[in-house]
Amino acid sequence: MKEIHELILAEDVRYTEDHEWARLEGDQVVVGISDFAQDQLGEIVYVELPQVGDSFDKGEEFGSVESVKAVSELYMPVAGEVVAVNEELEGAPDLVNKDPYGAGWMIRIKPEDPAQMDELLDKNAYLEHLKGMES
Amino acid sequence: MNTPARTKRRPGLLMDIPVLDYREALELQHSLVDARHAGRLDRDVFILLEHPPVFTLGRRGGLENLTVPEEMLRRRGIPVVPIERGGNITYHGPGQAVGYPIVHLPSAGWKVVSFVEALEEIMIRTAADFGVSARRDGRNRGVWVNGKKLGSIGIAVRHGVSFHGFALNAVVDLEPFGWVNPCGLAGVEMTSLARETGKTLDMKAVRRSVLHHTAHVLGLDLQPVNRKP
Repeated sequence: MKEIHELILAEDVRYTEDHEWARLEGDQVVVGISDFAQDQLGEIVYVELPQVGDSFDKGEEFGSVESVKAVSELYMPVAGEVVAVNEELEGAPDLVNKDPYGAGWMIRIKPEDPAQMDELLDKNAYLEHLKGMES
Repeated sequence: MNTPARTKRRPGLLMDIPVLDYREALELQHSLVDARHAGRLDRDVFILLEHPPVFTLGRRGGLENLTVPEEMLRRRGIPVVPIERGGNITYHGPGQAVGYPIVHLPSAGWKVVSFVEALEEIMIRTAADFGVSARRDGRNRGVWVNGKKLGSIGIAVRHGVSFHGFALNAVVDLEPFGWVNPCGLAGVEMTSLARETGKTLDMKAVRRSVLHHTAHVLGLDLQPVNRKP
């Protein structure tokens, strides 16, 4: 398992306490899981994603990732409607391990209220959250 | 195995339940996971039980791996329950020691994959107590004896809290496993501690052994509680 100082924590995203990240791109939000989450899970073998057009509340479960014999739930960082899902993950779920903030993105949403992004953790607050979990 | 340092065992609760219906056990787990996540429950819980006969399907399905008509199961009163854990179809029945650890993984320092390995370790050590040498298989999870499957694993994680767990075949009737491709693997033969030893085993002794190794491997000081506190 990576030490906290070894983790890659992208600067251009906001984080949730459940280790999803959200990146504002124009009027849409792209969502994935953090380097900590992918490292914690180990080799990801399956990613279950919602359908385009589905809507979820902030904090609601939108999918799951399966590492070997373990299913972990995924939660919405902000409320919104799914406008795209990363179909590459169906054939290559390990993209989440290899490039969690890039090619391993999961869904793109049209947020209900973009101001909800401000309620998420920035890199430093997320880092503090990670440090707090270990004590 | 990448396990957290264990200087001192953390306090945990033990629910030692003789037999519980699968769906009731699932509800119990869900309520404990919610309580653990919300902070109403400040420690981890280990549930040890046996189930009446039931087939369960993993998140990715598994009904295609049922090799007998569903009607046959209905006639015998054996339910098929879809659930959220990893893995595929499997069977549970009396004589199988089932362990459900409700553990907040991050605060205990568990990485998911290490935690799955730890559950395998509990089964391997328990088997060793009865003179059975079980091992891991790099390709397929669970524990194996000479290519036959002795114990199965499948966990789910909700807000960092684990549920579902492991099932060790102790004295369980193996016939119903023949009605499916267990865990979605065609041609997998199941075995049990009773079959491997050729002896009549005391299920109580198996359960004691599981509890002993669970406390040690998971680093928990398990205090028994009544089922509905």
